[in-house]
Amino acid sequence: MTDSTPDHDRVTSRRSFLRGSLGAAGGLAAFAAAISPLKDLDTEDLTVEKFLQKHYKEMTPEDKQRVLERIAAEVEKRYEVRPELRDLPPLDGVEFGYALHLGRCIGCRRCVHGCVAENNQSRKPEIQYIRVLEMPQGSIDVDRSNHYYHPAKVPARGHYYMPVQCHQCANPPCVKVCPVEATWQEPDGVTVIDYDWCIGCRYCAAACPYFARRFNYMQPEVPAKDINPNMNYLSNRPRTKGVMEKCHFCLQRTRAGRMPRCLEVCPVGARNFGNLLDPNSQVSQILRKKQVFVLKQDAGTLPRFFYYFDQD
Amino acid sequence: MTREPGRQVGSSLGLLIGPSFFVLAAWLAFGPPVTTVPELSAAHVSAQQITTAPRRTIIGDPPTIMINDFERMCSDCHQLFPLGPDPIPGRRQHEHVKLEHGINDQCRNCHDTKNMNRLVLYSGESISYSEVTHLCQKCHGPTYHDWEAGIHGRVNGYWDPAKGEPRKLKCIQCHNPHRPRVPAMDPLAPLPGPHTLRMGKRPDHEPKPEADPLRRSLERSRDRRQK
Repeated sequence: MTDSTPDHDRVTSRRSFLRGSLGAAGGLAAFAAAISPLKDLDTEDLTVEKFLQKHYKEMTPEDKQRVLERIAAEVEKRYEVRPELRDLPPLDGVEFGYALHLGRCIGCRRCVHGCVAENNQSRKPEIQYIRVLEMPQGSIDVDRSNHYYHPAKVPARGHYYMPVQCHQCANPPCVKVCPVEATWQEPDGVTVIDYDWCIGCRYCAAACPYFARRFNYMQPEVPAKDINPNMNYLSNRPRTKGVMEKCHFCLQRTRAGRMPRCLEVCPVGARNFGNLLDPNSQVSQILRKKQVFVLKQDAGTLPRFFYYFDQD
Repeated sequence: MTREPGRQVGSSLGLLIGPSFFVLAAWLAFGPPVTTVPELSAAHVSAQQITTAPRRTIIGDPPTIMINDFERMCSDCHQLFPLGPDPIPGRRQHEHVKLEHGINDQCRNCHDTKNMNRLVLYSGESISYSEVTHLCQKCHGPTYHDWEAGIHGRVNGYWDPAKGEPRKLKCIQCHNPHRPRVPAMDPLAPLPGPHTLRMGKRPDHEPKPEADPLRRSLERSRDRRQK
């Protein structure tokens, strides 16, 4: 084939030129379309400082201070509220535990909405950390539960209620699956998320057997008047679109020695919180005195959230 | 020069693929379907509904009530009108008190008939209103021990005694002593149901049982089965 018109191959025919340029233009246009979401990117939101921010665990105290100031300024700009943004460290000799009395809970959802108010969750679309399951009496089959119940009065006859939130497992499957280590377990037993490090892959939500993690599919909307200015880096500072969030036992309160908000609003006193390592704390006494169980024990997650009944 | 049939097919395929990229790109850039999320108003929750205050306020020790703008103690009337036999037929005072507390069907079970500003234990010992927990303790022993340990009833404030005071409530700050059973409450709004084909359009916080998508779905499938 050497003799058959070598320059015929070299000279581009009109047909092949058209075909080639059409393909190239199509490819270019497809590439432009693929990166077109970038044009919606808020350039104000994307600062060099934010882009180069380190992982929480790699930050020096000075880095943290700078980051806290940046976030506080952002919050002030967006909501016109000066937040009291801190980064409370875990306390020595403290491991948080939660106990919930199933016999008392009446399913009124005060905890759910108290939590939303405390932790600056998105109101539109609504994000709630606590799910209250309505279950027929005589079983703990979560498949038969319903969390959309809305009777005129609770408790409804023949039902009991089981609030489910993050169980702060000692063996957390959500932490194991995170490809970027944006979520980890703190020394006080609370699994936290660095919202600036999360890439939004949602593996953790799939791994959680308690359906405890919530994803910001849209830009969270919180009315400025409803912002809670008591903020903590690893807990309730405002999140953005595309990051995961979940219950963190109100770290902004509990690491300062206070009770979580869901406990403080419970009208029937079904919730107890305390230090598992202190033998005289509420939860330790409940673990000793009451009939305690954990949800989905067979999942091997070792939750720090316990459900209990009275012995008599 | 003859072309092989295979090459011809290839080139016409190329002519098809090129423009289809164009079409796809144009569609992606200019006309991707806008995914609309149903606009939902957030559930309206007043601060009153998520208050951390106790359910009931203690009226003081000794308790006082306002009668014609004058603050009166119980004994002010009951010195003149001693407690009659219980239950009083056709009671004209304290009508709002409906006694539903187990076997206690008489005022004198808890109130001291000799001094109405005080309460009385079943031993006859008179105690003040602020010591009410000792009265409840006489029947509700296990519950009292739990309360002492902080595991019955809500403890607000601080879990860490080094940082602040835990705020424990007394029995009557949650329970009405005349009807101690916790009354049924209005539940706050649930999360709106998912918008899926199976469950239909999601309701906008309607406080009706029909608004429950899971229930509607179950009812529909039950209806289908029955047909």
